[in-house]
Amino acid sequence: MEMIDRYIYAVTQRLPEQQRAEIKQELQGLIEDMLEERAPAGQASREDAESVLQELGHPNALAAQYRGFDRYLIGPLIFDPYLTTLKIVLISVGIALTALFAIEAIVKPQEILEHFTSYLVSLFSAGAQSFCWVTLIFAWIGYRQQQNSTGPDGMNKDWKPADLPPIPDMHTQIKMSEPIAGIIFTVLFTVLCLYSIDLLGIWRVSDGGRTVIPFLNADVFQGYLPLIWILAALGILKESMSIIVRKRTGKMLALHIMVSVATSVLVCVILADPAIWNSHFIQQAEAAGILSPGGEGYDTIISMWNRVSEWMITVIGLFTVLDILSESYKWYRVKASAG
Amino acid sequence: MADVNETINGLLSELRRGTIVIGVLSQLSEPQYGYSLVTVLEEKGVAVDAGTLYPLLRRLEKQELLESTWDTNEARPRKYYLLSPFGKEVYEGLCREWRKLIISMEGIMGETEGGERYGDD
Repeated sequence: MEMIDRYIYAVTQRLPEQQRAEIKQELQGLIEDMLEERAPAGQASREDAESVLQELGHPNALAAQYRGFDRYLIGPLIFDPYLTTLKIVLISVGIALTALFAIEAIVKPQEILEHFTSYLVSLFSAGAQSFCWVTLIFAWIGYRQQQNSTGPDGMNKDWKPADLPPIPDMHTQIKMSEPIAGIIFTVLFTVLCLYSIDLLGIWRVSDGGRTVIPFLNADVFQGYLPLIWILAALGILKESMSIIVRKRTGKMLALHIMVSVATSVLVCVILADPAIWNSHFIQQAEAAGILSPGGEGYDTIISMWNRVSEWMITVIGLFTVLDILSESYKWYRVKASAG
Repeated sequence: MADVNETINGLLSELRRGTIVIGVLSQLSEPQYGYSLVTVLEEKGVAVDAGTLYPLLRRLEKQELLESTWDTNEARPRKYYLLSPFGKEVYEGLCREWRKLIISMEGIMGETEGGERYGDD
C-alpha cells in the first residue's frame, strides 16, 4: 500500500544511511503483522492501514525513538549566547551601513538615490552574510563541545564537585561590554573594508564639494576581500567565546593571543603588498592643493609615504604586543586574586 | 487543579518505561521477533507500543544484551532477537534488584498506609 511506503520513507529518511535498509525491512514486517491482526484474510482496507499507522505514531517521533538522541545545529546550551551575538552583529551591521550611507550622502549628495538603493541591497546581503557566519561559528563551537564531552548535552560523565567553577566576581568576569565592543568594532571594520574602502583617506572640503584622496587602491584591495572575511570570522569567533565563557581563563587568553597574532599577521600580509597602496596618492594630494612641492614638510611626507608599509606594520606589531601584554596582565591579576 | 487521573497516568507511564526492559529480557530466552513479543507481553498484562519496542530492541542489541538473526525462510522476512549470555547475566541481576526494590517499596507504602488508616504505633 502506497501510504505505508510513504510512512516508512518518512521514518527512515530521518535515520543514518547505514541503518535505513534494515529498519525499513523491520517496519514493513511489523506493519504487515499489525494489519494481519486486523484483517486476517490479507485484505486490509485503507482504514486498517490508517489505524495501524496512527498507532505507530508520528513518523518523526518514531524516528526519534530509533535515533535515541536529539540533534541540533545550535544546542540549547549555547543558544542564548548565539542569540546575543547574532543580535549584536546584526545591529552593528545595520548601524555601520547606515553610517556609511550617511557619509556617502554627504560626500556626494547628488547621487543620493543611487546610494540609497545600494544601501538597501547591502543591508540585505550583509545581514544574510553575518547571519550565516555567526551561525557557522556557533555550530562549530557546539560541535567541538560535543566532541570534548562524553555525556550528552556537553556534560562530562566523570564530574567532580571540585571541578565546579568559582562564582565569578566582578574581577574574573569579562564585562559584557568588552565582547560587544569587540564585535561592533569587527563589524564596522569589515563593513568599511567591504563597501567603502575608498573613504579611508584624506578628506578635503572645499567650496565645490568634498573630495577624498584614498590611501589604498580599491581595485587591488578587492582581491584581499577573502582575507577580510577570515579576519571577521576570527574576530567574531573570539568574541562569541567570550560571551559564552564570560570569564578570564587560560584558554580564553590563549585564544585571544592566537586570534590577535593571526589577525595582525593577515593585516600585515595585506599591507606588505606594495600594489595595495594608492600609487597616485602624492599626485592627487598635490592636485587637491594639500601638498605643494617645495612646501613645508614636503620631503618628510614623501619619504614617509614611501615607507608607509613599514610604518604601518611596525605600528600594528606594537599594538598587538601591547594588547597581548594587557590581556595577559588582566588574566594574571585574576589568577593571582583567585589563588 | 490538575486532573488526578491524568497526573497518575503521566507518572505511571514514566514508571512503566523502566520496567519494559525487564519485560523484554524476560521473554527472550527463546528467539522472538518484534511483533510476537508485543503480543506475548500484552497477554501477560505488560502493554508496550510497537513504536517503543522496536527501537528498544535495536538499542538492547547495540548494548550487546541481545543477539539477532534475520529469518528469510518465511513469507515475510523477520528479525529474531535472542538473549545473549551477557544479557542473561544482566537480566538476572536486574531481577534481583527489582525484588529488592519491591520489598523496600512495600515497606514504605505499608508504613504510610498503616499510619493513615489505623493510626497504630
